[in-house]
Amino acid sequence: MANIACFVEGYNFTDQREEKALQNFKRTAEQMGHNFDFMYRENISDIPKYDAVFIRATTDPLFTSYIVSKTADELGLKVIDDPESIQICGNKIHQYALFKKHAIPHIPTIFVNKTDIHRRCLMGIFRELGKPVVIKAPYTSFSRYVEKAACETSFREVAKRFFRKSDILAVQAFMPTAYDWRVGVLDGKVLYVCKYMIPKGRWKHGAKLRGKPTFIWGRTVSMKRENAPATLKELALKACNVIGHGLYGVDVKEANGKYVVVEVNDNPSIYAGYEDLRDKDLYGKIIEYLTD
Amino acid sequence: MFWAEHFQRFVRFRFLYQLIDSKLNKRIQLILNMQAVIPNQPSHGVTWVLVVSNIDLTTNLPTMEPETFLQSTIKDAVINISHDYRYMKIGYYVSMHAEILGDTVIPSSKSIIEANRTPILLLKASKAGIPILPYLVTSSVKQIMSELTFPLVSFAVNPFSYDGYRIATNRSSLYRAVKSLSMNYKFAVCAQPLKGEMVSVKSIFGKCEAPEAVKRVSEKVYEVFKIPLCKLHVQNVGSEILLCGLQPLKKEEVLPEDLRTISEKISELSKTGGMPIG
Repeated sequence: MANIACFVEGYNFTDQREEKALQNFKRTAEQMGHNFDFMYRENISDIPKYDAVFIRATTDPLFTSYIVSKTADELGLKVIDDPESIQICGNKIHQYALFKKHAIPHIPTIFVNKTDIHRRCLMGIFRELGKPVVIKAPYTSFSRYVEKAACETSFREVAKRFFRKSDILAVQAFMPTAYDWRVGVLDGKVLYVCKYMIPKGRWKHGAKLRGKPTFIWGRTVSMKRENAPATLKELALKACNVIGHGLYGVDVKEANGKYVVVEVNDNPSIYAGYEDLRDKDLYGKIIEYLTD
Repeated sequence: MFWAEHFQRFVRFRFLYQLIDSKLNKRIQLILNMQAVIPNQPSHGVTWVLVVSNIDLTTNLPTMEPETFLQSTIKDAVINISHDYRYMKIGYYVSMHAEILGDTVIPSSKSIIEANRTPILLLKASKAGIPILPYLVTSSVKQIMSELTFPLVSFAVNPFSYDGYRIATNRSSLYRAVKSLSMNYKFAVCAQPLKGEMVSVKSIFGKCEAPEAVKRVSEKVYEVFKIPLCKLHVQNVGSEILLCGLQPLKKEEVLPEDLRTISEKISELSKTGGMPIG
């Protein structure tokens, strides 16, 4: 019997689908004969009491979740997400540099720093990537801090905002599609596959309504992992291989019959009735990995 | 008249483009020169290192601007000198880029993240035998009061604050400190008991102008994290020096005499036959 701590924050329980998924993890672990406790920020000092840590709170090297991950890792505990994965997936510049190095097919990307924001460079970017371009802050998650720019003025405006936190930004070619593939990968094996549909009239899965604080999300269409295209699964596994052997959600775009990686996310969303709809065994597989 | 104006404007822009072009060519030439002067194999017992610095150093070794290095594909040993090694700042990206190229680099991107997160700094330091005090990571004032006793020193563990600490001697000052450092309880803080006097020292390659006991802690911190320039916060508890935190330096805190020390240390590292990468 293993003691598993699931690090969560209050917001993990605000969405019923996520809360249900967390309860599914707890029930599955208990059915497998393990102890599964939710651990909050106030209980971080209890980490040494556990055998494994499963992080469900949003990860970033600057968030408390990284401290939980690193502490667990230093103490020799099995941890999802491990600190290396958080470091690479939490910084898209790091991730795309690795994709370039290992020749992983990904959306054409150019890195820009503050000294590159001048007319000639911007014209060069538009010439190379076309118009509009997508400007991505390295710390993007849940479709936030990813914006389109079709002219120099809007490019400068977006870049100025994103440069407040990071000295380098990623600029990518705009590839509109009806959906993005999401491939869930655990320890080098495909866990689930689904399609994240893009809401009508939008270009990303999660979009903010103009003038309102609410976010609207596209539908999630699940399919059995066996039925997903083999080339898609191969590409997702190849992309994860350069990052690590943890739990990842790989976003892939399909254009003209070719697949390109959009990004690899650590701490992928798992909502009851969505990602788990066709592959119910994902809960058991994650618990098995943690207790192995 | 209209065409004459346009022609003049065209000539002016053309001149401007040529000027920018020549500057770019010079930049490319600099990179090519760098590759030529930095051999991959050490010769005559001297290991060449490339110094990437956003500070104007007085060193004979090849030095490169961070922005130039980020465009390059130089494969060598790299010393990344920056007053500010914060995550996602240019100092961090230089180390990250060097690692992706397969270069050995001081400091590593991992060390940069770890050293700037107080609880991880303390955890790794204690594992390496550096004396520390018990600490608590939380955003709950009640928990701090139940587990630690006043006076207390608190460090921020949020994505935005990197500098300083707050001392709390009573309940209300602790509430104020935690509210401010945790950004209205949104993030955690790292609280430690305050047993002695807080001392802050500037550490340059582990060297600092301080009593012997502080120097020893500074050297050990450098051994573990390899952060060339930083400010260390320690507690002087009688005969013992306890590590409390680390923060980046401000540019104005790097004095001319520090530049000499940095240059000497870089020359020393390159002459001793390599870099002690941890």
